[in-house]
Amino acid sequence: MSTVNLPLAERKRLKKKKLTKHHLANILTHWFNAFSWGFLLATGLAILGNRVYQTVPAQWSAFLRNLFGGLAPLIKWHESWGMFWAFVITFNVLVGFRKYFMPFGARRMMLDQDDLEWFKQYGRKLAGLSYQLPEQDDYNAGQKAFSYVVILGIITIIATGLIMTFSPQVMRATGGMQWLIQWAMPIHFTAVGLVVAGLVVHIYMGAIFPEERSAFFSMFSGKVDALYAYSHHHKWYKRYIRAEQEWEAGELAKDIEMGVGTAVSDAELDELAD
Amino acid sequence: MADVKRYGYVIDSARCIDCRACLVACRAEWQVPEGQTRIWVNSSGLKGTFPNLSQQFVPFQCQHCRDAPCLDACPTGATYRREDGLVMIDEEACIGCGLCVKACPYDARFYNEEKGVAEKCNGCYTRIDRGELPACVATCVGGARLFGDFNDPDSVVNKALKGRAAHRLINEIDTQPNVYYLEPIEEDNQSWPEAKEMTPAETFWRKLATPGTKLAIGAMVLGQASAFAKQLVSGENEFEE
Repeated sequence: MSTVNLPLAERKRLKKKKLTKHHLANILTHWFNAFSWGFLLATGLAILGNRVYQTVPAQWSAFLRNLFGGLAPLIKWHESWGMFWAFVITFNVLVGFRKYFMPFGARRMMLDQDDLEWFKQYGRKLAGLSYQLPEQDDYNAGQKAFSYVVILGIITIIATGLIMTFSPQVMRATGGMQWLIQWAMPIHFTAVGLVVAGLVVHIYMGAIFPEERSAFFSMFSGKVDALYAYSHHHKWYKRYIRAEQEWEAGELAKDIEMGVGTAVSDAELDELAD
Repeated sequence: MADVKRYGYVIDSARCIDCRACLVACRAEWQVPEGQTRIWVNSSGLKGTFPNLSQQFVPFQCQHCRDAPCLDACPTGATYRREDGLVMIDEEACIGCGLCVKACPYDARFYNEEKGVAEKCNGCYTRIDRGELPACVATCVGGARLFGDFNDPDSVVNKALKGRAAHRLINEIDTQPNVYYLEPIEEDNQSWPEAKEMTPAETFWRKLATPGTKLAIGAMVLGQASAFAKQLVSGENEFEE
């Protein structure tokens, strides 16, 4: 939703108003995840020390091997933190904070007609053509699409990581199916690579791109300003304001029951939200 | 004596009587699991007709190649080369993927199921480092196995090679082995190297996964860099947001 027609005073008012976008559970999980990705990527790339598979300068491998006291401890740290990360992520999503994550998966990830239109229009934007982005919910179509890459990627990374970490047990359990370990390595590598390709955009959009600045700070405070919500996540903004006003109407209804104040109609609520 | 050592073996197959004491010594030194061995004595059987019979025994092991294919096959560097030329396996770091086992043209490696790692001759580095000979060399009664520093002209291996035509197990595959044989090796001996093909997983990794991932990340970095450049050029409108 464009903010072109909003008067400056209204923009300033919206800018001051804060909407809660992320709960503490999301924020903590996000930063734990971010740290883990940094750590596991740094150590993982250093483990690939062979000249054929090396993707970073050999000095990086040598530096981390020295820092951790050799290749074996480096691998053990990578495996151990990887399993800790996998446990925390799985636990938070399925058990610990499921009241935040489950509705997320059920409601916020589905792609609707507006999302398909968003892809079309965003393509025009990238191509330098005229475009009109449709209204978006609390996560836009690009974020939704990336979430699938991340979730599939994480499942693949955890599965292949466990196969490599427990390779002797895998060999015993499968009667010597060593090809499982041999394939786990390049698949692990590729899944990480594809998520990292998306992370490049995620980090730029989140931390550098000026239009999304409010989203960046929301990963610390949990809050975005209403002007940002109005222009970038209009559907969510309307729902949020409506929920706010329904709460207020509920409070008023209590007052009316007690004989003070007047009721607000649905039509009035819609008008206020727009 | 040169500062940098180049360790290797010289084998005189004419002196080998196939007693296999070396196999026993190696097994005892490294607790090699039953049914598997780090070193062999190969033979192509009896040759000639009675009473003119001959048989060649060829003591055989990891060739500690200077251009070792196992080094390129090991993704982590758990297989590495010491400064003195010995090709080693860091058992703590090995995850037992077995790519090195399949890459070795001499089939000098095997997968140790008990430990879950690849295994092969490591030149008895623990003995060498305290000035002793490898177990197989120390125990060889006929003196068929010799070990020493090829960079040292006075070493036992260089003395043995002096004035002799040394042979190595090289055919169309030449990985620069550091094991020399004093006798020519029969063509039908099973010690000769064989060409190994890459596993499908390695082919996928080298040909598709690595370049594809680099391309995807590179394209994204370029895209975001151009967006950033545009952002810097066009500046921000503070009243817009």
